[in-house]
Amino acid sequence: MDLASPHTGFVAAAYVISALVLFGLTAFILMRDRRLRAEAEALDHQRAKDAR
Amino acid sequence: MQSLANPARFLKIANAVLPWVWAAAALSLAAGLYGALAAAPADYQQGETVRIIFVHVPAAWMALFVYTVMASASAAAIVFRHPLADVAAKAAAPIGAAFCFLALVTGSIWGKPMWGAWWVWDARLTSMFVLLLLYLGYMAIWQAIDEPHRAAQIARIVALVGFVNVPVVKFSVDWWNSLHQPASVFRMGGPTIHISILWPLLVMGLAYTLLFLALHLVAMRSEIAARKIRQLRIARIGDR
Repeated sequence: MDLASPHTGFVAAAYVISALVLFGLTAFILMRDRRLRAEAEALDHQRAKDAR
Repeated sequence: MQSLANPARFLKIANAVLPWVWAAAALSLAAGLYGALAAAPADYQQGETVRIIFVHVPAAWMALFVYTVMASASAAAIVFRHPLADVAAKAAAPIGAAFCFLALVTGSIWGKPMWGAWWVWDARLTSMFVLLLLYLGYMAIWQAIDEPHRAAQIARIVALVGFVNVPVVKFSVDWWNSLHQPASVFRMGGPTIHISILWPLLVMGLAYTLLFLALHLVAMRSEIAARKIRQLRIARIGDR
């Protein structure tokens, strides 16, 4: 890639925005998954404890 | 497919395949980025700006593909009553919306140096913008209605009615006079793009598809956990 090209800024902007959106989406989905699975597990344990 | 509709079986399979899908997505993304930024030559007309196409076109493909997944899952929820069909549709929506947003933004960034404008109310761009609104509307229904069964009923209808827009996006460049270029990869008679540009584009398409698959499996797993939390809370209230 020729970095001296007049449109390098446009190319860089497209790749940076794509990376930020996809990384942000991945992080959001993974963190939500971790939180919800931990909460479900905790409630499951609590229910089993209450049943005893 | 019927056997996969069991959430416990789905979770078992999803947990087993997820590391492989993540690895395949990372590898294909690395290969795609190498092809897009290092191996592919500058276009004789567009110059270096052609490199935006490698992130723009796969995002647009995914926006249409994910909506098709969402509409198919909604149809399966109505016809077959699959327990996981609504989960699949709901989990796909934010991922599809992100790809649609990326297609619009990267297209706009490409449009400024090539067309001289960030945005034009062209048939392709407008129908793509409508697709983003459909994604946001579908997600808003799930957020606005507390009762999941009722939310699912309305969301399924929105997903299916909105599917009309998918062929409109695809064929808008053929049906109307458009500033946007016509189809150059998925068309009768084969691709019109040179192989040096085509292969990085297809590899980036594969990477985005694998990324979607990984994110969708994780989002479905989260949605199953969210529904379990709701059931456990209701059962806890009932026990008191």
